[in-house]
Amino acid sequence: MGAGEFAVEELSVYYGGVCAVQSVSFTVGAGQSLGVIGTNGAGKSSTLRALMGLVPRRSGTVRFDGKDLTGTKARDMVRHGIGYVPEGRQVFGGLSVEKNLLLGDYARRRNGETRQTLAEVYELFPVLGEMSGRLAGALSGGQQQMLSIGRALMCRPRLLLLDEPSMGLSPRLVDAILTVLLELRRKGLTMLLVEQNAKLTFEATNHCLVMENGAVAMTGAAADLRKDVRVRRVYLGL
Amino acid sequence: MQIFFQTLVGGLSLGAVYALVAMGFSLVYRTMGLVNFAHGNVVMIGAYVASTFYLTVTLPFIPAMLIALAVTGAIGLVIERVLRPLENKDFTLMLIGTIGFGIVLEALATLIWGATGRAVRNPVQAAPVELLGLRIRTYDLVVLAVAAAATVALVLFLQRTKRGAAMQAVAMNHEAATAVGIHVGRSNAVAFGIGASLAALAGSLAGPLLYVSPTMGGTLGIHGFAAMAIGGFGSIPGAIVGGLSIGVLGSYSAGHFEGYSELVTFLVFTVAIMIRPTGIFGETTVNRA
Amino acid sequence: MKLPDVPTGLRYRLAALAVAVVLACALPYTLGAYAMHIVDVAIIFALLALGLGLAMGIAGQVNLAQVAFFGVGAYATALLTTEAGLGFWTAAALALLISLAAGLLVGLPALRIQSHYLGIVTLGLALAFLNWIVNTPMAGGADGISAIPVPPLPGIDLSDEYLYYYLELTVFTLALAFGLFVVRTPLGRRMRAMRDDDLAAGAVGAEIPYLRMAAFLLASAYGGVAGVLYAGLIRYVAPETFSIANMFLLLAMVIVGGRQSLWGCAVGAVLLFLAREWLADFATYAQLGYGLVVVVMVVFAPTGLAGIPRRLRAARERRRTGTRAVLRDFQPYEPADRATAERTELEIRNISKDFRGLRALDDVSFSVAAGAIHGVVGPNGSGKTTLFNVISGLYRATGGAVELDGQVITGARPYRLSLLGIARTFQNLRLFEELSVRDNILVAMDRTRTRSGWRYLVWPVGIWRQDRELRRGSEALLSRFGITDYADTTPGSLPYGIQRRIEIARAMASRPRLLLLDEPAAGLNGEEVRQLAEIVRSIRGSGVTVVVIEHNMGLVMSLCERVTVLASGQVIADGTPEEVVASPAVIEAYLGGESMAEEPMALPTEVQ
Repeated sequence: MGAGEFAVEELSVYYGGVCAVQSVSFTVGAGQSLGVIGTNGAGKSSTLRALMGLVPRRSGTVRFDGKDLTGTKARDMVRHGIGYVPEGRQVFGGLSVEKNLLLGDYARRRNGETRQTLAEVYELFPVLGEMSGRLAGALSGGQQQMLSIGRALMCRPRLLLLDEPSMGLSPRLVDAILTVLLELRRKGLTMLLVEQNAKLTFEATNHCLVMENGAVAMTGAAADLRKDVRVRRVYLGL
Repeated sequence: MQIFFQTLVGGLSLGAVYALVAMGFSLVYRTMGLVNFAHGNVVMIGAYVASTFYLTVTLPFIPAMLIALAVTGAIGLVIERVLRPLENKDFTLMLIGTIGFGIVLEALATLIWGATGRAVRNPVQAAPVELLGLRIRTYDLVVLAVAAAATVALVLFLQRTKRGAAMQAVAMNHEAATAVGIHVGRSNAVAFGIGASLAALAGSLAGPLLYVSPTMGGTLGIHGFAAMAIGGFGSIPGAIVGGLSIGVLGSYSAGHFEGYSELVTFLVFTVAIMIRPTGIFGETTVNRA
Repeated sequence: MKLPDVPTGLRYRLAALAVAVVLACALPYTLGAYAMHIVDVAIIFALLALGLGLAMGIAGQVNLAQVAFFGVGAYATALLTTEAGLGFWTAAALALLISLAAGLLVGLPALRIQSHYLGIVTLGLALAFLNWIVNTPMAGGADGISAIPVPPLPGIDLSDEYLYYYLELTVFTLALAFGLFVVRTPLGRRMRAMRDDDLAAGAVGAEIPYLRMAAFLLASAYGGVAGVLYAGLIRYVAPETFSIANMFLLLAMVIVGGRQSLWGCAVGAVLLFLAREWLADFATYAQLGYGLVVVVMVVFAPTGLAGIPRRLRAARERRRTGTRAVLRDFQPYEPADRATAERTELEIRNISKDFRGLRALDDVSFSVAAGAIHGVVGPNGSGKTTLFNVISGLYRATGGAVELDGQVITGARPYRLSLLGIARTFQNLRLFEELSVRDNILVAMDRTRTRSGWRYLVWPVGIWRQDRELRRGSEALLSRFGITDYADTTPGSLPYGIQRRIEIARAMASRPRLLLLDEPAAGLNGEEVRQLAEIVRSIRGSGVTVVVIEHNMGLVMSLCERVTVLASGQVIADGTPEEVVASPAVIEAYLGGESMAEEPMALPTEVQ
């Protein structure tokens, strides 16, 4: 496998006796972006959380950049260059915006890079720079989402995992998120985007998986899938 | 008016001790959502260790205090490790588990130091300070100064250090904290250790103010807890305001109701907590279905 | 007289009980005077432990003032006999009333605060009581009160501790029997439900405030009786008996024995008390020992000694692969007359809900026709569950009104809404984990008010009849939902799909007029979803209006007559499923953007 490639094989997750994810496999090439779409309860989020090691896996291997990360603990993923943007943003509400961002850098040794990375994040999200002293809990939903992405970028990840960044946001804010994702893609960041919002995903990624009932129902290039009527069937139950 | 202020001043030093106890409670509660009912007994152990090294080994007061800090810090780590399986699970069980530890610590203290207790000589022999017609014991000033210094140190640690910020982050969202690379278990252990060290600080300062005995933990613990509840769970300014109010309240009720001061203190506390369960600085939490 | 058929298990239990009674009656003949005295005191502690077990283990109320109730009972008896010169039994009756008053007082904070707060407040009040008896001259300070008269009883000299034992034994047996009766009948069942999940208990009609007070009343009644017996036995009271150390000992007794079992509490109390007396010369080591035992028990055996047989049995059953319980088919309800006129069952009028400045619901209005199945859909975080929580009384709306059949119900407590006929299920399942499936159903089936609990004192037979009636109804409901085989297991161990069905059965047990289902299909497989649709249709057919939040759009399309779509806390569409899925706003909310809406949309065909 190539350098910077992220590969998941035969991933299964069970909660109690219930199967949430069933033998899901995929590969994201270096600099590529993969979207995982599907309705609520389809197993997208469980897939992502299992990759991170936040929920136990029944089976499956995870490899990134030539290293086997199957046994790696969630807290060490970031040390292998993997940034995670959790579902529902999950910013540290009682801390200032800047502290949230600096905590994103927690795993790395402090050096001159931190200030530079911080400046880059503020450049990407000017609104965070304006609000750097504000408590994260006092931000609007959209701003919190920016902060959550910014926090994940602080560790200078080579792979970014995003769990439903559009959740609960207005269409205008979803567009803002899209702009950011496209910018990151242009910079060559490898991304895995889990989303309910199909339009956002099709525009932000090159390749997509459609999940249904814990398994991969369809795969294809984003451009092809967006024309596929079956996708709409999955969503609207037609 | 003179008596009013004199009583106020009289309550402040004990209030500062309560504030330190409450801060320890708060720190552990913030990070782990655990109310450590053994905290008062840790305070007592701290008082004993400090007084032993001060009186028996005849070390100066400050090094004796530092030894006590280290000993209780270690006790805190043990308690955290044993009760870790219960974290974020059954609240009542955890509460009872810490009560169990409290019983153990009290028994250990009785075994080591006997049941009778001891008086601790005042380490500051200077004459009382006269200020605006009020007599203030020098030791009271020392207690206030040390408590203030400890508060500042704690706040600086939480606000200015990476570890401190991480500890707060764990309290707010342990999953997101994990994702940025924080070791949640270790962070909790450190919080527990610091909480226990604050207890030792409170205990060693309380030694010369009160009588050191195995049962002092119960009284100090419950006053400290009341202080935290009045100030607001998990809030450091709350712990300070709560501690000083409980101290001053105790001082006034001792003046007015003599022997009944504890009764009055707890009745006032109960009414206060019923009127505002979240305390002065507490936040309302949202109940999710 | 012909005895009815008694099942073997029960027969063993009755035999064991008979042996226990004989042994208990014969015990004094084997004991010396001092041992007899110890046993007499042990029984008093067992009574106290029963009270604590009822409050803490059964009702989940952290009560660290049990020792104060004990003290109030003892001191009141002492003062009323020595100071007021009343006869012992008059004083005892008054002392019991005073203890109950103390129970009400200590219980008051429980209406506002729970768990650790409640622990500290009750402990604080216990300390306040101690402080009072140490200081008040009337109570004799640290010396206490002596010369309490011997309780007179015609023909029996109660100054004889052997005879006193039989008095205690009688009282204890009655107290235990009453306690067990309470636990197994409606009042205790509601308390246990409240302990496991007070939100869900409120939602099925348990009046949480009254139940909390009832828990403290029970605890104080047991404490008061123990206090009276103590005063009559020792005839001397002093503050040290009611110290916080003894409170913690009592706590240890309940934890070691098993807080959720009254038998366990009693056994734990007797064992620990005897152990303490046996180690009286090494009191500190004994204290160290029971402290350690508490810590070990809490971590490794949270259900105490009483829980060990159940854990062993569960372990044995896991290994055994014999007859397996099966989920049987749902038996449809009798269709009700659906000729009712067009009536609005539920009217949501301009509901808004803010959380600390964030607007979760923004001016939401829609109405649900009587006898309809109405869907509420929308992307994640659009406010659907918040809306349910407002309707069912868990949240107080920031603005707007909810009407049930024309009656404004905004801001009513969940239990009132349950009694008015609203039932709900929860997104993440909120079954009572420690209750059997049958008890889960029985809690919801019980439609009486808690205040009818006075009958426990006056007419227990009435309670017993009511319970039998409820049980009969529950059997019918269990079999209708096909879950009879699981009636005696706890829900936590069952597969998810079955738990979902149990939760619907529990909601239906309250015979609601309006049923709110929050994502009932989440986590179900295809066949289970089909069964769910059948169940929901049958429920509606029986005359119940159903509102359902669901993400499975296939289910929504086939089930609902009308659908309301929420996005970002606002209603963006309301109409028939066909109208709704054709709405550009909905497609945008779901798929994100009108670019997807260009293709012609085929009308849905009926699924299944």
